[in-house]
Order: sequence, then structure tokens, then C-alpha cells
Amino acid sequence: MKPDILNNVISRRRFLQVSGLTGAAAASGLTLEQITGNVAAEAKAAAAETKTVITKNVCHQCPARCGIDVYTTDGRVHAIYGSLESPISNGKLCPKGYLGAYLLYDPDRFKGPMKRTNPKKGRNEDPKFVPISWDEALNTVASRLQNLRDKGESHRFALLEGRGWGASDAGLHGTFGKLYGSPNVAIGHSATCADASKKAKLLLDGNYSYNAYDYAHTNYMLILGANFLEAYRPYNTNLQVWGHIRTKSPKTKVTAVDVHWNTTISAADRALVIKPGTDGALALAIAHVILTEGLWDRNFAGDFKDGVNRFKAGAATLDPADFNEKWTKGLIEWWNAELKDRTPKWAAGITTIAEREIVAVARELATTKPAMVLFERGPTAHSNGVYNGMAIHALNALIGSMYAEGGLMNQMGVPYGKLPVKPDDYMDDYAKSEDRKKYPRVDLVKKDWLMASNQSQAVAANHLAGKPYKLDTIMFYMTAPIYSAPEARKWEEALKTLFVIDTSPFPGEIAMFADLVLPDHTYLERLQDAPIYPFQGWPMTTLRVPAVKPLYDTKVYGDTLIEIGKRIKGPMGEYYKALGGTENILKHLAKGFEEKPGDNGVNSFESWKEKGCWFKKPYLWRQVRGEFFEWDGAGYNKPMTPEEVKKRLLKTASGKFEFKASYLENEKYAAYINKHLGVPVERVGFPQWIEPKFYGGGDLHFISPKLPLQAEGRTGNLPHAAAIAQPVVGGRKTVYLEIHPQTAKKRGIGDGDRVRIKSSVGSIEAVARYYQGVRPDTVVLPNIHGHWAQGRWARQNRLPTGSASEIIVNQSEPISGLAAYYATKVTVERV
Amino acid sequence: MPKWGMVIDLEKCTGCQACTAACAMENSRLPGESWQDVILFTEGEYPSVQIKWFPRPCMQCENPSCVHVCPTRATYKTDQGFVLIDWDRCIGCKYCMIACPYGVRFYTDEKPLAAPDPRKVFKSEDEHSWNPPWKAPQEDWKRGVGIQPRGVVSKCTFCYHRVSKAPKDVPDLSEHDPKTREYTPACVVACPPTARYFGDLDNPDSEVSMMIANKNGIRLLDQLGNKPQVYYLTGSGGAVPSNRAIKKT
Repeated sequence: MKPDILNNVISRRRFLQVSGLTGAAAASGLTLEQITGNVAAEAKAAAAETKTVITKNVCHQCPARCGIDVYTTDGRVHAIYGSLESPISNGKLCPKGYLGAYLLYDPDRFKGPMKRTNPKKGRNEDPKFVPISWDEALNTVASRLQNLRDKGESHRFALLEGRGWGASDAGLHGTFGKLYGSPNVAIGHSATCADASKKAKLLLDGNYSYNAYDYAHTNYMLILGANFLEAYRPYNTNLQVWGHIRTKSPKTKVTAVDVHWNTTISAADRALVIKPGTDGALALAIAHVILTEGLWDRNFAGDFKDGVNRFKAGAATLDPADFNEKWTKGLIEWWNAELKDRTPKWAAGITTIAEREIVAVARELATTKPAMVLFERGPTAHSNGVYNGMAIHALNALIGSMYAEGGLMNQMGVPYGKLPVKPDDYMDDYAKSEDRKKYPRVDLVKKDWLMASNQSQAVAANHLAGKPYKLDTIMFYMTAPIYSAPEARKWEEALKTLFVIDTSPFPGEIAMFADLVLPDHTYLERLQDAPIYPFQGWPMTTLRVPAVKPLYDTKVYGDTLIEIGKRIKGPMGEYYKALGGTENILKHLAKGFEEKPGDNGVNSFESWKEKGCWFKKPYLWRQVRGEFFEWDGAGYNKPMTPEEVKKRLLKTASGKFEFKASYLENEKYAAYINKHLGVPVERVGFPQWIEPKFYGGGDLHFISPKLPLQAEGRTGNLPHAAAIAQPVVGGRKTVYLEIHPQTAKKRGIGDGDRVRIKSSVGSIEAVARYYQGVRPDTVVLPNIHGHWAQGRWARQNRLPTGSASEIIVNQSEPISGLAAYYATKVTVERV
Repeated sequence: MPKWGMVIDLEKCTGCQACTAACAMENSRLPGESWQDVILFTEGEYPSVQIKWFPRPCMQCENPSCVHVCPTRATYKTDQGFVLIDWDRCIGCKYCMIACPYGVRFYTDEKPLAAPDPRKVFKSEDEHSWNPPWKAPQEDWKRGVGIQPRGVVSKCTFCYHRVSKAPKDVPDLSEHDPKTREYTPACVVACPPTARYFGDLDNPDSEVSMMIANKNGIRLLDQLGNKPQVYYLTGSGGAVPSNRAIKKT
């Protein structure tokens, strides 16, 4: 655009501005062109438009791994869109995907490694960080770790892991812990995530994992919790498929269950608002109706030998010999032990859902083909969570959705190439010593938590009590239990007594208590792999490619860990020197694609970078009307034997979907459940109703859900996200406590009043908003704000006054170890 | 000459705000300067509660109230149907904001929407109201595109900077077609359930025209006579933007 002074450029407006300035300009020596800065800007903009580079990356704001196209012009990232080349994104993103540039250019980001100079630690203590070199930072960590190892105390180093992505970051942890000699590297976050769901599925179908789903072909969905349209991952694809299933022929019908009205249950055909912790009762009653009305899927579950339905409410005990089960085991035993008395009337009394609704849902679910039942945290983050989950998941066997089109399946693994070095070749005597076995995990998994995989939420208290022992040094990767764990404030006490290493790029709550900060790149600056979570079953892995050079003196986490490893004396150091760095790892992983190219042609590291992902469709197995088939290249045509079904799919001891979990026949497990949940040993294997326990001493259920704008813990310092979060009761700067008007009025609380939400473990303050869509016995506060660190916008945004986790009692479901996040009851009073 | 219009299928809209977030990014908006927004409201009493929502871009009215009242003719309608603002003429009197029945116009100079004010964090050295590092490269003050100067009103441009480059005689601009994706408005590109469509309302064969016919497209506050170029499809579900007074519960 040429600076045509007489026409476009100088308008009446700017002429007046310029005239005013000219006098001053003449004095300062500025030219007319310099004053009319917009001229230069416009010309530059025109030229710049031709220098836009598009690179592939993977969104970071949730675990879904949506492939993104990152638009960089003149070295500045200014736009992110879903990549058309990602079969998860399909050119789309959820609202969080567009926040990437704000995170990259967050003005509060750490500019490089730093050490603390203020020995005092506290919420209001300035760490007084001073910048140090990477050498000093890495040497400090290494020498600390070396010192512990030399004293035989390597177990006193713990590394807590949150949002790990793949082999080049969190995937390094297991080996590091093994070579170094600590059982606490890493302690994963899964017990603050959704472990009870995985456990329930393990017990029934033998797979300890989340499910993949074929939403596009289902005709009925019963969703319990999960919050399909606000949070369930992969959120982006849920939204995409919603548009399809709600307008296809036939239209997919949806019944959704939750504890307050959110967009998910509002958009569904039927909304059921349930008493927290009672979803298991609902599921059992639905199962009862399906059986008594003869609606179960006979192809999958089998039938009475004479075809006569003997399932009658409260009738005499049935003989298993009268029933021929097909792909299930234990149906009659389950009916006898539990289901026969679980009527809709019984469930209505517990759940507060009307009897007629329960019957209607059961009939719809069982007679619409194909159908599916899904759940995740909502019903299971309770003291009875695994049993609730079992009751719900059992419905999938009764309706025949396991591995069927329009049903559920598991996720296949990615054919990564092998690394250039094997950890077992680098174990020194110290690492191999029996002495290492003397020290259990500091979170007491396999000890106090017999069947759990993780219990990170116990670490602070365990350390403080010295049981099993006190830690010395703790490192955090993508996790901040000081904000997110139940009884979060306990971590403030614990971190005061530990040497804390933080790796976040942002000044979050962990950093405020850190002794050393080794800041990671933000995701747009990283080269990093990220194999996907369960999605549609076929394998897929993604790659982040840097859109820009690192803005600051940061280091990708994988390399930070490797560099620390290199500095440990002995074979461990040699291992990491041979491994080199994350780029070398990724090149080796990509070698696996040479033999197995992806559907998009990716067969090398270079092509992986270009396309951003490797994937190979289809999912290889399918159940069709009670028979299992393997993909033969053209279709699901190759019949599978029961042995093959057991090996690939129904991985229980019997190779069937077990209504009486053989996994729990283990004496130790049965005794554990009997001790912690009071279930008689002979009954532990059945999906069953267990009364939920509630903690905290209050009279209102306290539920803290996720919102569409909640980028895990990383939304706090994003004013763009704050401006559009919490749709149901508004909120441009904060989130409100949803309270039913009658509940509020009884407590003298007006709409918009500041309130104190209190439990036995703490209290926070927030603004209350009247909401007809919340149960009168429940209050809801989304867990998206309440940061007291994270940056200047997070700190200004001081309502709520703390994280919802501060008032949530730290109790876990015993079988899975899942934190019972939704089991706290609070009082609410006007401030 | 296409008359560009938008169709929003309320049966598919999930109320996720991807459109709102994408617009803010594409157009370098301040937090809360929601040229595109999703309006949510609640009706009914427990336990029969309804949450309803609808996305609200600028309606790009055929008969725009804002254009009628603008004292400097800063806001104007083009022959392709865009209602735009010339920031060189706008004096920030805000008469247009009062006149607009849909509340789609923004004036960001009185009260910062976020604290601390991002404009102070990312200061501009010239007449731009701020200078964030992620700002988009496009700028066209005569059409209200880019980061505005101080003291003017801003609003949704139907992504003029994208749509104006579309090849001629294309009846619909879709994000699913790689040939038209870069010319499609950001909110349409973003919508995950594909609830938004963009095309030529003057072409009876265009997809947007067909959808309005097939699924009973209606316009918001139609009785006021503004003749929006944004149609909502309510089909057998979705929120009918209501003209009733919403009782605050």
C-alpha cells in the first residue's frame, strides 16, 4: 500500500493528530513518515502477509492431542487452527485451542533457570529468584541426587508427574527411577484423575484403561457424569461428532445424568439430575429392568436354555445351570446376589430420579441398536466409586456394545522403534541391590493402597508424618498438587520442608515454594511426541514441532531430565550420554514407522514432522451379533476363536465379560475390600450398591466440575479464557458458586452475596449466584479459578479466594485409590 | 455480487465458545471484546430447568440501525453486505451502540475489561490502542480490521479480511473445503459440530439458502425490521431466541 498522502492515508482525523504533533516533531527531528506510523505498519503488514509459515504442533490444553496448524508471520505466532491433517482435529478445535499464543507470549513466563534466595517459604513470600546458568542449575540437581545416592537414600527423591505426553518426556521417568534407585520416580497423577473408571473396567472386561468409542455410529448414548459437551476428552472430537449424530438419520438419542444442569444434559434428550454418589443405584436398577423385561442382548450375554425369562423382582434364587452364557460369566450369580432386589422404586428413593424415568431409560437403552453407556469421574470420584463404575459398565455387556460398531473398544498401541540403549545394561550394583526393595513408594501404593497405581495426593501428608519416610528432594513435572490435590494447603506445609524443583514455564503455586526452577519450553517451542489417549481404537501418535525458536533460556523437559541423568556418576550417566537427547529419541521412535507407514504416508522422522501425526486405521476387531471378527484388509471377516478374544479383547481370567470379577478372588484383595468397604468377602466381585460416604461435616454436596475453557491448571493467567468461562451462571472475571435460591434463602444468602464455603479441612470465599439448575442439596463451584499465583492476571482475579481443592477432604476410593473429589459436604454462609 | 450471510444451526450448537475464542484470536481482540459471543440463559424452575444458548455475531443487517444513526458516516454497508466501521472517521460517540438492537458493538476505552489492563501490559508506541505480541498481521482501518486506535467503536466484520479475498462466484465458503477454508470467517472455521455456515443469501442454490428453506431459518428480533443476514435454524430443538422478558431467578 503506497503512502498516498492526498488520499487513503491521511484522513481528517489523522491530519488533525499529525498537525498537532508536527510542531513537536519538528523540534524532535522526526520525519512525517515516522509520525504516521500507521503507514509503515500497513506496508509492513502487506509484505508480512507473504511471509507466513505454517507448522504442525499439538494443542496442550487437555490430553486429547488435537493436531494444530500454527501460523507464524515474521517470527511471531498469531494464529492457531485445527489441522485438517489430524484425524482428531479434522480442522477444528475446542475453545482452548485458540489460547496457545497467549501462553507462548505470557509476560509472566520464566525467562530461564533460577534459584531461590529467600529461605522463607509461604503464600506471600517472594522467592527472590536470581537467574543462574543451566550448568549451575543442572549441577545443583545432580549433586543433590548424587549425594542422596551416595548415602543410600535415593528413595528420598520423588518426582511427581502430571500431564505427561509421551516417550520423550514422561516416558523417561520409569527408566530414570530404575537406574537411579528411587521407587518414587515418577509418581503419576492418575489417582487424582479417573483411576476408578479404569479399575471398574479391569474388573469386568480385563482392560485397565479408558475406552475408545465409536460415537459416530451409535444410536443411543447413556452418559453418566463425563460431561460430554464441556470436558470429556477428546473434547474437540466429542463436539464434532455431536453435530453429526444429532442430525444424522436415525438421530442418536441421548440421556445424560449429572448433579446440576450443564450444557451436556441440557442438549440431551433427557436430563437426569442425580444425588451425588448414587449413580451405581441407577445403573443397577436399569440392569434390573433390562433383565426382568427380557430386553438383554442375547447374542452377547446368552439366554435361558428354554428361552423362558425367569428374571423377576424378588423371586427365588435362580440356577446358573438354566442359563447358557455366551460372552459373559456370572450373570445368574450376580442376579441372585445383588440385582434381584434392585428395583426402579428402590433406586428412585436413593437417587431422587423418578421411577418412570428409570424404566423409560432402561427400555430405550436396551431396545435401541447400537447403544452405549459411558461414564468417567462423576460417578466414581466417591467412596463407592469402583462399584458404581462396575454397575454402569456392566450395562454395556447387557446391551451388547462391547467391541461392536457404535459401541466401546480399547486403544491399540503405536509401533515405535526401539531406543538405542537398554536400561537393564546400565544398572549398577546399587540400582540392582536388594536394599532398594526395603523402601516402598512414598505414596504407599502396594502397601496401604494395595490395588492402586498411584496415590500422589498422599505424598505431602506421608512426608510430614515420616511414614514410610521423609523425602529430601521433590521435583514436579506438569503437576501442582499444591493447587489441585484434595486438602491442597497441606502441600504448603510439606514443601516448606523439602528441596523443591519446579519445571513449569509459568510462575505457578509450585514455583512460589521452589528452590530451583528449570523452566520448560511452552508447547509451541517444543519438539516432543504425544501418542494419543483412547479415541477410536486405531493407533495414533502425534508430534510437536517448534513454531518459533525458544523465546527465552528454557529447555524442553525431556532434555532437562536427560542432562541431569548424564551428571550422575557411573553407568546411569553413561546411559544418558548414549541416549543423547530428546531429538535422538524421537528419531529412533520414528524408525518404527519405516516398517509400518501411517495412512497419511508418514514413514520417517521428517515426514512425521511434516504431517504432525502417524495413524493407522482401522481398529482390528469387532463383535457382530455375538461373534468376533478380525480385520482382514477388506472387512471384519476373519472369525476369532475364544482364545483370540481372550488374548486381544476380553482379557479376564475366563476370557469373558465377568459379572463376578475373578480378579478380586485374590484373597488379599478380597480381604482389603472387606476391611475398607465392609463388603463380605464372597460378594466383593459383583457390581453392587455400596452406600457412599461423605466427608467434611457440611450439609451440602460440594461439586467442582471442569469447564470448556479450563486448560487443566494453566488457565489462571489467561484473561481471554476468564472472560468467556462458566456459561451457565455467567462470569466475565470469575466463577460463581451455583446455589439453589431456596437453599440460599434458608441461609440468608442473597443473589450475588459473598459467601464462605467451609468444610472440616478449610474454607474459601466466592460469590454466590442463584441458579435453578442446581440441586437444592448441592452447590457447584467450577475448579478453574482460585489461583494465588500463576501470573499477574491470576493474582488479580482473587475470587474465589482459593482453589476448590483446598476444602475437599483427602479421602480416596479404596480399590482404585481415586481421590473422592465429589464426596465432600460443606456449609455455606454469608460473609 | 454475493450477499454474504451466516446460518447457525442451533440443533448442533454445543455452546462451547470455540467460535468466540477463535474470533478473539483471529481479530486480536481484548479479553471480553467479544465481537462473537455465545449468549446463555436459563429458564424454568428446578427440576424442569432449561439452559438455552445461541451464538451471536454481528447480524450485518440489511437495514442497519447503526448506519442510520452514525453522525460521521463512519459505519457503512458495502455492496457485498458487510457492515463495517471506518476507524478514520469514527469519533467514538457510541450512538451506534445505543441504536444496535443486538448489542454487538464494543467501545473499550472507558473501563478495562481485564485487570491489569492488557493494553498497559502490551503498550503501543503509536496510535494503536495496544500492541500484543500475538497480533494478527492484517490491518485495514477503513474497514475496522486489525487493532483499533483509541476512542473508536469496533465490531464483527464477518472476517472481511478473509472473505473479501474469496474467489468470485463461489456460493458458499466452507472450512471443510481446503480451497475455501482460508476465506471462511474464523467462527465458522472454528465451530466443531459444524453448526455455522457462510454463503451467498442472494443465490437460491447456495447451501445457506437451502438450509434456511429446509430447516425454517429465522432471524433474531425480526419484528424490529433490521433484516439480519444471520439466520438461526431451530429444527426440532435448540433455543429459540426468545422475545419474552427473562425473569431473573
